[in-house]
Amino acid sequence: MAATGTTAPARDRTAPAPAASRTGAVAATAALVALLAALAVLDITQGTAAVGAGEVWKALTGHADQSDASVVIASRLPRMTAGVLVGVALGSAGAALQAVSRNVLAAPDTLAVNAGSYLALGVLTVTGASVPLLASSGVAFAGGLAAAAVVLGLSGLGAGTVRLVLAGSALALGLGSLTDALLLLFPERTNGLYQWSQGSISQNGFGGVGQMAPVILVGLAGLLLVARRVDALSLGDDAARGLGVPVRATRITVVVLTALLSAAAVTLAGPIGFVGLCAPALVRPLGRRFRALLRARAALPVAGLTGAALVLGSDVLLRALVSAQSAVAVPTGVVTSVVGALFLVAMAFRARESGAPAEPDRMRIPSRAAFWSTVAVLTAVLVGVLIAAVLFGDTGLLLGDVTNWALGRAGQGVTFVLDTRVPRVLAALLVGAALALAGTFVQAVTRNPLAEPGILGVSGGAGLGAVLLVTTVPAAGAWSIAGAAFAGASAAAVLVFGLAARGGFQQNRLVLVGVGVSAAATALISLVIVLTDPFNATKALTWLSGSTYGRTAPDLLPVAVVLLVATAVAVARRRELDLVSLDEDTPRLLGLGLARSRLAFLALGVLLSATAAAAAGTIGFVGLVAPHAARALVGRRHARVIPVAMLLGAVLVCAADLLGRTVIAPAQLGAGLMTAVVGTPYFVRLLLRTRR
Amino acid sequence: MKHLPAAAAAAAAALLLAGCGTTEHASADSSPSVSPTGSATTAGPVTLTDATGATVRLDHPATRVVGTEWNVVEDLLTLGVAPVGVADVKGYKAWDTAVPLTNAPKDIGTRGEPSTDTIAALSPDLVVATTDLSAAVVKQLRKAAPVLVVRSADAADQIGLMMKDLDLIAQATGTTAKAGTVRQAFEAKLAAGKQALASAGRTGAKVAPADGYVVSNQVSVRPYTSGSLIGAVNERLGLRNAWTIKGDKDYGLATTDVEGLTGLGDIQFTYIANDTDGDPFAGALAKNAVWKSLPFVKDGHVHRLPDGIWMFGGPGSMEAYVDAVVDALTK
Repeated sequence: MAATGTTAPARDRTAPAPAASRTGAVAATAALVALLAALAVLDITQGTAAVGAGEVWKALTGHADQSDASVVIASRLPRMTAGVLVGVALGSAGAALQAVSRNVLAAPDTLAVNAGSYLALGVLTVTGASVPLLASSGVAFAGGLAAAAVVLGLSGLGAGTVRLVLAGSALALGLGSLTDALLLLFPERTNGLYQWSQGSISQNGFGGVGQMAPVILVGLAGLLLVARRVDALSLGDDAARGLGVPVRATRITVVVLTALLSAAAVTLAGPIGFVGLCAPALVRPLGRRFRALLRARAALPVAGLTGAALVLGSDVLLRALVSAQSAVAVPTGVVTSVVGALFLVAMAFRARESGAPAEPDRMRIPSRAAFWSTVAVLTAVLVGVLIAAVLFGDTGLLLGDVTNWALGRAGQGVTFVLDTRVPRVLAALLVGAALALAGTFVQAVTRNPLAEPGILGVSGGAGLGAVLLVTTVPAAGAWSIAGAAFAGASAAAVLVFGLAARGGFQQNRLVLVGVGVSAAATALISLVIVLTDPFNATKALTWLSGSTYGRTAPDLLPVAVVLLVATAVAVARRRELDLVSLDEDTPRLLGLGLARSRLAFLALGVLLSATAAAAAGTIGFVGLVAPHAARALVGRRHARVIPVAMLLGAVLVCAADLLGRTVIAPAQLGAGLMTAVVGTPYFVRLLLRTRR
Repeated sequence: MKHLPAAAAAAAAALLLAGCGTTEHASADSSPSVSPTGSATTAGPVTLTDATGATVRLDHPATRVVGTEWNVVEDLLTLGVAPVGVADVKGYKAWDTAVPLTNAPKDIGTRGEPSTDTIAALSPDLVVATTDLSAAVVKQLRKAAPVLVVRSADAADQIGLMMKDLDLIAQATGTTAKAGTVRQAFEAKLAAGKQALASAGRTGAKVAPADGYVVSNQVSVRPYTSGSLIGAVNERLGLRNAWTIKGDKDYGLATTDVEGLTGLGDIQFTYIANDTDGDPFAGALAKNAVWKSLPFVKDGHVHRLPDGIWMFGGPGSMEAYVDAVVDALTK
């Protein structure tokens, strides 16, 4: 649906004749190779050691002293080679995945392959086992493949591409949160893992490169062997079947090969974000100019070269911009993400809307009784969770204590516990409801089940604003943090919606720009942490992972007020929401100012997510799951969706917070991590149930 | 699905029934007053100003003390006060064996997010926290018990800060006499160490203290610059810090890679590792061509210090460090 353009480009009538096209394609490829070579040469002259161009030349010609020569051979060349290998692996994997899924957003990142590999490596690190590189790569491959298998199994091979990316994004979020939880729980054991988690191509000698290069070559060769079938798939499943191409087998083969490529890249350099998404996106316009590049056999290697140029270019740029010392601290992946995000935004801006009608949510329309019983059950569950949340914790309480506390008769111990616990429970309740409502607004306005404040970069913007303030003014109070979060969220929202508005909120553009801004915000947050407070990642992660820790009643005021107003508006304008979420034309026919009401709903969504982020950090998933689940349960009418989504959101965050505080007490995990850990299986079940 | 409402209602009812009653008795004194045990110092009220500028008033020197960071826990133990609550007890036992725990304190959770419930349940008469704990949580904790916040680190004067923190904690726990002895012992240890290094002809030797970690096939090196605590101790021992990289303003730490070691020249390289984490310098780097070409590696001037010295600790850890570095350089 919305987030999924087709990769099949519009037939360009002015396209040159095939022969000229082939020459052009060769010329373009040659230019790309030349660029890559130039970047590679630049890259090996950069580093912390005083080994510049002159020394590198001497080393390569055998005239350098041993120390300089060893720097070039054991440090610079392996790093450059790793950059090329990782870029090729991710770029071609992304191109192949996008081709077989016919989805411009499919990539090792969005299909959870990276996240699976990364989690597997994180677990390996935490166990403290020291294993050879090839073995750890095997573990990463198993992790990545398992994640891809789950995603494809859930989405059903050949089924709608929305489900593919939905399942992938959801799983990536859940797995990423598990890895983050490991980072928080084993801060000493995983020292450095955080930095590595952003992706870094530095190498300790040629060992790693030497072992991974064959793996990547095998993966690439395999992709080229099935290239013709991949081309057939781009015509559509039925057409491909008509040509005698085994659709299912081809998809499975390609996914296994891309998992292999991504796992090799992750083992070598950590999850380098965005290359798999961005490189094929950069090649696509080339394909429009030179038709020869439309064929997978040419497009895959070219995407790989583009990926390599992206990775090396980012590394060179980084080392040219900041001092050699600081460059060590900044992972290359941060730069690829920022660079990639900028490209993606630009691409999205130029991309043509496919014009294909949105794939309708085929959902049953439940009876009124079903709606009311759903509300009743959810309310009962919420009450139960709230009671449990107040009673359970490191200190177990009984209801009598709560009554005493409410009446002001409780002893000092109980009073303290409840004074600190009740605001946290309330924070979870309010934030959950607010995020769910924000997600409902955004999904209605964009008519896109993938769109939520997190994916559109609004939550990332809020996080960036808050982290900037926290690092510059360590003593900043809760109110100023809320203000900074709001400023960041607004900036991100203005950027995303502003850019998307120029085409009347066209759907692919909105999500593409949003994903870009979101990735850039996340990368910039990492950059701020790594550059200013590298040895206090725990603190930043704790805040970013969405935590109710240390919340007091006044902190909740903004989100409570905004939630109240937004709920009132939502209830009053429920019919307008129905119309806005329906299609492009009906509201116009009815004389509704479409753009204006869309803007108003979006503004409310931004306000909700910013105040929620200020109250409890960035909590993902709720804005995605709650409205989606609500629609699946009670149909699409907003009079029903709004209360059900808000109840679901509140239950989800409250339960996550409760689990995070109690399961591993006295240590605790942020509600955001727990939301993802709880939310992923739920979401998976939802996908299974709605499987067509 | 049909049974869900009934089940939910039943669960809620069960929860309500089971949850009735209270955990506290009508007029039980929930915090048994502990008389200050065996301290010969004044048992009168104490008034202090902590690192946040807050005034901390205690009716009597504290005996039931909780520490949210390992350096303050170490200070408490050094002063003879066994803390009743410690953040990440397991981690402390692994990383700070220089000043071992003398009791079995309650684990209050992680150092970043210690559990306020658990702290309150211990009914401490003092919580010692550092400026690394968020201000909002300190504010909450002040409702449960007096909280003394000390600054975690200061690259401008690490040893001065370490002693200042020790003195503050000593005043709050009525152990200033002990703090005086600790200070004297520390100074004596520094003097003896300096003397031992001088006798071995090591005065003015250039030392590069570091630790490092390996993730996958990448090695990160973390230099302890002259702004770090052990950097400051090294200077008092008459050693020179070989790092030219600038450290951060609190802990005096930096980040570099193996290439970044090529500028060090002929120096003494000391590092701390831990058996639980492995040893990147003896392990992953052993076959690295850059590492092998470094002059101090060729000359065998690479010294692994004993495990369990907390590089951000108090006088206890630093005395162990002095022994370790003197031992390494005079061998």
